[in-house]
Amino acid sequence: MKNFEYTFSIFLITLLMLSNSTNAQEKFFRAIGTPHQPKVEASWNRYNTYDGIVDLMQKIAKAYPKLTRLESIGKSVEDRDIYMLTVSDFGTGDPDKKPAMYIDGNIHSNEIQGAEFSLYTAWYLTEMFEDLEFINQLLKDKTFYIVPTINPDARDNYMKEPNTPHSPRSGMLVLDNDGDGQSGEDGYNDLNNDNHITYMIRKSPTGRYIKDPQDGRRLIQVEAEEQGEYEMLGFEGVDVDGDGNVNEDGVGYYDPNRDWGWKWQPDYVQRGAYKYPFSLPETRAVADFVLKHPNIAGAQSYHNYGGMILRGPGAEEDKDTYNREDVRIYDAIAKKGEEMIPGYRYLTVYKDLYSVFGGELDWFYGGRGIYTYTNELMVSYLYFHKNEGRGNQEEELKVDKYLTFGDAFVEWEKFEHPQYGGIEIGGFKKNFGRAHPGFLLEQDAHRNMAFTIYHAYQTPKLSVLDVTEKDLGSGLKEVTATISNERLMPTHSSQDLKYNIERPDLISISGANVVAGMIVEDDDFNKVKEQIQNPETIRVPNIPGMDTIKVRWIVSGGRNFKINVDSAKGGIVSWNK
Amino acid sequence: MMRHTISLLLFFLVHTLVFAQADYPNLNEITNRLEALDKNSNATLSTLTTTRGGNPIYALKLGTGDLENKPAIAVMGGVEGYHVLSTELALQFAERLIQNHPQAVEHTTFLVFPNMSPEAYEQYHAKLKYERRGNSSNLNHDRDGFLNEDPYEDLNKDGFITQMRIENPTGQYVMHPNDNRLMVEIDTSSSDVKRYQVFSEGIDNDKDGKYNEDLIEGVAFNKSLTYNFPAFEPLAGDFAVSQKESRALLDYLFQQWNIFAFVTFGPANNLSSPLNYNAAKAKKRIVASPLEDDVAINKTISELYNNTVSQKPYMQENQGTDGDFFQWAYFHFGRLSFSTPGWWVPEAKQDSISTESKLKVTKASNFLNWAKQESLDDVFVKWQKINHPDFENKTVEVGGIKPFMVMNPPFSKVDSIATEHTDFILKLARYQPKLEFHNLKIESLKGGLKRISVDLLNNANLPTHSQLGERSRWLQKVRIELSASKEKILTGNQIELVSKMDAFETKTLSWIVKGNGNLKLKAGAPHTGFAELNINL
Repeated sequence: MKNFEYTFSIFLITLLMLSNSTNAQEKFFRAIGTPHQPKVEASWNRYNTYDGIVDLMQKIAKAYPKLTRLESIGKSVEDRDIYMLTVSDFGTGDPDKKPAMYIDGNIHSNEIQGAEFSLYTAWYLTEMFEDLEFINQLLKDKTFYIVPTINPDARDNYMKEPNTPHSPRSGMLVLDNDGDGQSGEDGYNDLNNDNHITYMIRKSPTGRYIKDPQDGRRLIQVEAEEQGEYEMLGFEGVDVDGDGNVNEDGVGYYDPNRDWGWKWQPDYVQRGAYKYPFSLPETRAVADFVLKHPNIAGAQSYHNYGGMILRGPGAEEDKDTYNREDVRIYDAIAKKGEEMIPGYRYLTVYKDLYSVFGGELDWFYGGRGIYTYTNELMVSYLYFHKNEGRGNQEEELKVDKYLTFGDAFVEWEKFEHPQYGGIEIGGFKKNFGRAHPGFLLEQDAHRNMAFTIYHAYQTPKLSVLDVTEKDLGSGLKEVTATISNERLMPTHSSQDLKYNIERPDLISISGANVVAGMIVEDDDFNKVKEQIQNPETIRVPNIPGMDTIKVRWIVSGGRNFKINVDSAKGGIVSWNK
Repeated sequence: MMRHTISLLLFFLVHTLVFAQADYPNLNEITNRLEALDKNSNATLSTLTTTRGGNPIYALKLGTGDLENKPAIAVMGGVEGYHVLSTELALQFAERLIQNHPQAVEHTTFLVFPNMSPEAYEQYHAKLKYERRGNSSNLNHDRDGFLNEDPYEDLNKDGFITQMRIENPTGQYVMHPNDNRLMVEIDTSSSDVKRYQVFSEGIDNDKDGKYNEDLIEGVAFNKSLTYNFPAFEPLAGDFAVSQKESRALLDYLFQQWNIFAFVTFGPANNLSSPLNYNAAKAKKRIVASPLEDDVAINKTISELYNNTVSQKPYMQENQGTDGDFFQWAYFHFGRLSFSTPGWWVPEAKQDSISTESKLKVTKASNFLNWAKQESLDDVFVKWQKINHPDFENKTVEVGGIKPFMVMNPPFSKVDSIATEHTDFILKLARYQPKLEFHNLKIESLKGGLKRISVDLLNNANLPTHSQLGERSRWLQKVRIELSASKEKILTGNQIELVSKMDAFETKTLSWIVKGNGNLKLKAGAPHTGFAELNINL
């Protein structure tokens, strides 16, 4: 009897377990390319506050302890931790010695979706590691350093406090913007208490605008000789300090993307510069991390707006820094990006936008020799696949009418203003325009992630392709090793080579007595260059992309020798006889 | 009685130790003098940070009353570690100010930073003496992936790093025809004499063919600031302002809104001769020349300097080097910036029996001539043969001008240099911006209204803002504020911001106000000081 009860319980439990998993299997069916049963449940059609970001990162780290490492790289002005997830196969090699891709987002506090796109990347890589051979090999070969937000304080301020789509942009330091000896004495005022800073308009006989009779949300500019009805007063606010100006001095103003240490310029040359390179704790934290991780070979820093894949130089004065070889590599990767993300264009900052000094991508490339892009996320093309231009009111109102059902616009409402009198307040909300609407978020996150994966894939991949021996007599032999780099990026960019930013690649032989060592410049015609000092470790300045280099030793003995390649950005590979 | 005598003796001992110095002070002596100054009620000593090498970076604030709201002059010493004179001059300025010119601190606040390079400075007192610029950070100067792999070596064991010369037909140096102690580069007019290779004293530790190219020193303060930062060069650092001491100093300076001028004791000199104005460079987006008005100010102050200081200029070509503090203070911080070495080797009287009169006089040859004329014996280490492991079959000699001699005068000369430079700084202070109200007029209009008009005068030889400073967000505008409420003011602004007032410029202000009573009018900025006026309606 007991036996029967025992067996029956086991049967029941097994049935229960099976039915649970069968239930799950029956609930979901794979959509190609997306994990359908992720360990970490995440919603990619909404934005996260700082707490939400930290929560997700902790969940990912907890679910995948062998694929991730969660750490704080420093603290913000308001003492928040700036968290980073290192994603790699920790069971294969030391992640801090593999070629690495650095990704960050949200340096401008109001440019929020970079955090979601970075988180999506960390989530996707970990969830698909077991499923997809490509991702599996990618994490064996490479490391991803992912910092979803490098401006946590003001991200929360943008979300939780009244702001325009463009504010604060800086961090939370409050500076004197008008030189009157006071700081932050006149910021925006949320007059209608809706947590958005929208527009103020006022009826005026000299106004140049009228409301569209068919769509009261829309303001139309009248012809030059026509009378208008409304004047635009500006963003919501009052003259708090009585100096005759409205909203002239709130949080900031400074621009964290002018704080980087390459051709840094002070504020009167470059608006938004703070005191000196890395004078802000957030940017200093990133710089310190990058300096300690010379294995970073590629980087992405997410911004919005515009649908752009940007490379430097940031300023025209810095044109000489980017030479033809490196531009070719930038071109190859970015042109592929244009294909992956329809609507996004590959552009150069100083030429196609405006000159910027002290930007992040300038320091990453100019100062550290890292191939770096900034993607300006979100572009109006994504709405209807039309190029109507940025901030096209007609198009935006059409989006809100047919796709977002009024969620984007604050209807015009009357208000009694202390200085302007009777006005109306209304306009698009802060999270429309620059920020993706929910329904566009996941697709663009996936495409941009795919671009960064392609970028990471093209960081150097080294292998010892071939080792030949030639007997020279008198107990000596020539050992020639061919080292191959099968990806686009060289181990040293030309900026790196020009200034010796990173150490040479070291190719060493052990287990043999080395008589002489040399770099083989031309094998066919036996042109070699001897390295007289320490020939056991040949110092090679660079291993170019899609190319091979050869080194040679003359050794005695060495029946079983070992060859080791140690490259900062190329990683470590070994070959045993 | 006994105790009294002992304490009296001790007092005099300390006194003489402090005031009867025979040489430039070491770091402990500097600290003692600063702490003694701190005891004075007009002086406050603070530590901005401790360097990686464990030394404090001091800031001394001297002044009375509302220190933050009157014009301030910052005095810098030790921007170059080997320029030990600069620290002494900064210290003596502070000491003389407190002792002899107490009234000066009523009108001006003085900030003194005596030594920005304590580790480099201390090499003057170390067992092995050489001119050092870098702090104690680890920096790979030749960027070859190895750290500190080729420092100096004292081959002749004399406690100095000088030069070494190696006889070699492929060498690029010959002896100076007039003084065979000096080595000069050959040119195409050289006659057939013995040729040498010349290096600094040491061995090629890493056998790369270069000598002492990767020293055990870190970042040089005066090469690490943001103006024309020399990226990737030795001693500069990975990026500008990377070190604790430079960050701490700048963080502090950006909080001192009242500094209107810097006086830096360092190798650059824009006081003996002013900087030049280059219109094309001044118009560039990255401003590369001082602006026109500011060059005019430089000329005025340069004249002031030359009238106060007795030394005539000679070979003062250094008007700024990449990454230096002197140019940062003007081009990036927007303040007036003046720099002088304090002392330089004067022009030695020419030798009347010089046969080769066409020969170029160099700093080194002039120095040796001058030293001879001054009967300074101990300035040169005589060339002496040594055995050198890298040059086994060659004749190698060690010798050269002793370090510190060319930049720093014998200590006996410091007293008069310090007196003159103290006078100069005080004269500069008297030129500072000074706002005053004059010609107040109150007219009664109909209906109880009153028109107030008054002149605001910058009664000073200097404008309130340098031309470049006007563009900088780190200088406040002149804020004029009338203490009446907005409803009471019918015309005129309650708050008005003026971006600049020239030397001796007058601005007329007027308001029409309602009512009676006492109003207060205030105008100024921290770096100009404030003028206040009581208006009784």
